[in-house]
Amino acid sequence: VGNLGLNSKGQKSLLLVALLVSHMLLTKEGVTSLPICPKGSVSCQLSLEELFDRAVKLSHYIHFLSSEIFNEFDERYAQGRGFIAKAVNSCHTASLTTPEDKEQAQQIHHEDLLNLILGVLRSWNDPLIHLASEVQRIKEAPETILWKAVEIEEQNKRLLEGMEKIVGRVHSGVVENDIYTPWDGLPSLQLADEDSRLFAFYNLLHCLRRDSHKIDNYLKVLKCRLIHDNNC
Amino acid sequence: MDLRHLLFTLALICANDSLSASDDILQRPQISKCRSPEMETFSCFWTAGNFYNLTVPRILQLLYKKSNEEDWKECPDYITSGQNSCYFNASYTSVWTPYCVQLASKKEVYDKKCFSVDEIVLPDPPVHLNWTLLNTSQTGIHGDIQVRWDPPPTADVRKGWITLEYELQYKEVNETKWNELKPRLSTMAPLYSLKTARDYEIRIRSRQRTSEKFGEFSEILYVSFSQIGIGCDHCTEEVEFPWFLVVVFGVCGLAVTVISIMLSKQPRLKMLIFPPVPVPKIKGIDPDLLKKGKLDEVNSILACHDSYKAQLYCDDLWVEFIELDIEDPEEKNRASDTDRLLSEDDLKSHSCLGTKDDDSGRASCCEPDIPETDFSASDTCDATSDSDQFKKATEKEEDLLCLERQDNDESLPDLASTDPQHQHRNTESENSSVWAPFEDSVESPHLSVHTQISNQNSLTSTDFYAQVSDITPAGRVVLSPGQKSKLGRAQREGCTEQNFTMDNTYFCEADVKKCIAVTSQEENEPRVQEQGYNEDGYFTTESLTTTVANLGAPTAAAPSSEMPVADYTSIHIVQSPQGLVLNATALPVPDKEFNVSCGYVSTDQLNKIMP
Repeated sequence: VGNLGLNSKGQKSLLLVALLVSHMLLTKEGVTSLPICPKGSVSCQLSLEELFDRAVKLSHYIHFLSSEIFNEFDERYAQGRGFIAKAVNSCHTASLTTPEDKEQAQQIHHEDLLNLILGVLRSWNDPLIHLASEVQRIKEAPETILWKAVEIEEQNKRLLEGMEKIVGRVHSGVVENDIYTPWDGLPSLQLADEDSRLFAFYNLLHCLRRDSHKIDNYLKVLKCRLIHDNNC
Repeated sequence: MDLRHLLFTLALICANDSLSASDDILQRPQISKCRSPEMETFSCFWTAGNFYNLTVPRILQLLYKKSNEEDWKECPDYITSGQNSCYFNASYTSVWTPYCVQLASKKEVYDKKCFSVDEIVLPDPPVHLNWTLLNTSQTGIHGDIQVRWDPPPTADVRKGWITLEYELQYKEVNETKWNELKPRLSTMAPLYSLKTARDYEIRIRSRQRTSEKFGEFSEILYVSFSQIGIGCDHCTEEVEFPWFLVVVFGVCGLAVTVISIMLSKQPRLKMLIFPPVPVPKIKGIDPDLLKKGKLDEVNSILACHDSYKAQLYCDDLWVEFIELDIEDPEEKNRASDTDRLLSEDDLKSHSCLGTKDDDSGRASCCEPDIPETDFSASDTCDATSDSDQFKKATEKEEDLLCLERQDNDESLPDLASTDPQHQHRNTESENSSVWAPFEDSVESPHLSVHTQISNQNSLTSTDFYAQVSDITPAGRVVLSPGQKSKLGRAQREGCTEQNFTMDNTYFCEADVKKCIAVTSQEENEPRVQEQGYNEDGYFTTESLTTTVANLGAPTAAAPSSEMPVADYTSIHIVQSPQGLVLNATALPVPDKEFNVSCGYVSTDQLNKIMP
């Protein structure tokens, strides 16, 4: 106890660490001074084209998985229950005003569109987590549905990160983070009545398919507009 | 009756069906499909059904409603998409908004559908199909082409609003089944290995990338190589794989390889591919004998081996079945073959000595047709030489033994009767214990004889075989009298403990050594001297050496006390019908090497030892 136990080498390393930390804290742009490179990238600076390529691939994959999981769920649980007839399809992201046709998509500013995409992705973060956990409680849920739910949730997170990077690159000014819709559908996924519960799942998956298609489309439009100058 | 009833009811049912079918000819109007070709507009199509004919025309309406609206609106355009259709242009289309359409008249709703536009996208077919030649094969029979096309004009692919993938199908003109390529995103596709002599048809269809359903097919593109002057008119049929040629050449090649291997002088290669078939090998038997079919000689050798084996100290399992008596060492020394030879003619009539011994291995070697080869055979076991000579030799031996017999006349007849029963009691220490209890019972009545036998042994040779030391010009065989000197040995205690049998043709060197060690010093000299006795034209290598060296001293060939008794040797050379050169067995024997063969020294082993 009396012995401090630090030799000269240990003191030097401690000092070095302290200097580094203080430097990081003092310079607010800690992130930019020490750029965090995505895994597997050769250079820390990916081009915008590459970022968009990756984002489009991810969004396509998410939409593909969403379509499949919806079709499987429809086949397995929705037949004979008349869900389609009942479907009102009020998704929780309906409050976000997104372009509904090509004209609107052409006219909206790319920064706004990017923000919208981010908002939709963030709004789906929470529901996807609960989907992945609650779908396991469905009686005899097929393995394919289970792993797809988990996969969608993971990929969504990755796409969100990618989009935030793109936004950071494209945006000149301050990034707005207020586009967001909370989700309150968790209780409906945990209803005791099996029919109601399955209908809640059906709705959620239907909304997921639609929104993933939206995001995929918007990203492609943006990519063609920004990277290829409307000449994909 | 039952069958008729059944048929009748069936007929009724059929009639009912037909009647009801006729009722259903009036079909309800239905919405057949709603489709959007480019995700900007959409159209819905319906079938009017029979009602249309019966009632007032154009009473059908298509109403639509967006999900967030309350009222049903009527279709804005009944014309653009054709009859029984409703066209919604871009201003009426919201892509991700759920729609519901219903087909209704004023009275009732016939059909209703709900969907969203992104779900009903079915693109138009691609346009502007064309092909170009990539290359042709050297023979000119096959060619590769590249097919290109443009996306449907309605789909706005440039701005990325819709992403399409394409599926190409092709076939020969007179075929029925289409070949499909995998769906691809690019607007070009290569086709490989088309036959230039044939014409092809190509068609393409497209779909939205994440959908499952394809749109309509494009117009068919005709590919004809002759149009660009490449067609191969004289190439009638495609070259099929020449199976016949392959088989023929394969067989020929294989045959050539096999023959070459067989004829090749490379032993290794031959061994690898044609491993030698193991031939039966019995020690001491020349396989040539077997081949040449010298049955007599083979039989004698085999018989020798069989009987011989019974006498070995080896651990042969079948030897267990031989009657053995090792418990009483004196019994081993009881009767030698010479005694039996001398004693009677009865024995001679037996092909083997004492065929009464049922369990002995010797019985198996009994060959009634070769009566007299037994004894001789034992001497010839190690050699592939003339058995005939030895036959003569043993005959002579017998004659000679007669001389000895006179000395033992008293006891020999007794021995003769008992001998057959004991003759096979060759001492093998390992196996004797099995038979000891049995033999004990047999032995008891012969105890008196045993003493006589042992006495006899003390007087006569206790070996089955005696070494031929000399052959007189008269044709008589002089046995090595050194065997007699063994008698003293037999009585000596040091040797009686052992499984040492005087009856044996050959001694196991290990055992011999022990006895010789005791006695050799005394006996070497006289034996050597006697072996040096030389009359007729045969020499032992031993005798030669003894004559050369000092007679008085132990020969070089018999240097140590461990030298085995040279009662016999294997034949080295057959010089003449009357001459033999024997190998010297009196050699310094290294301990380890000779325990294996249990008894005799082969020329191979000799070669190892001889410097």
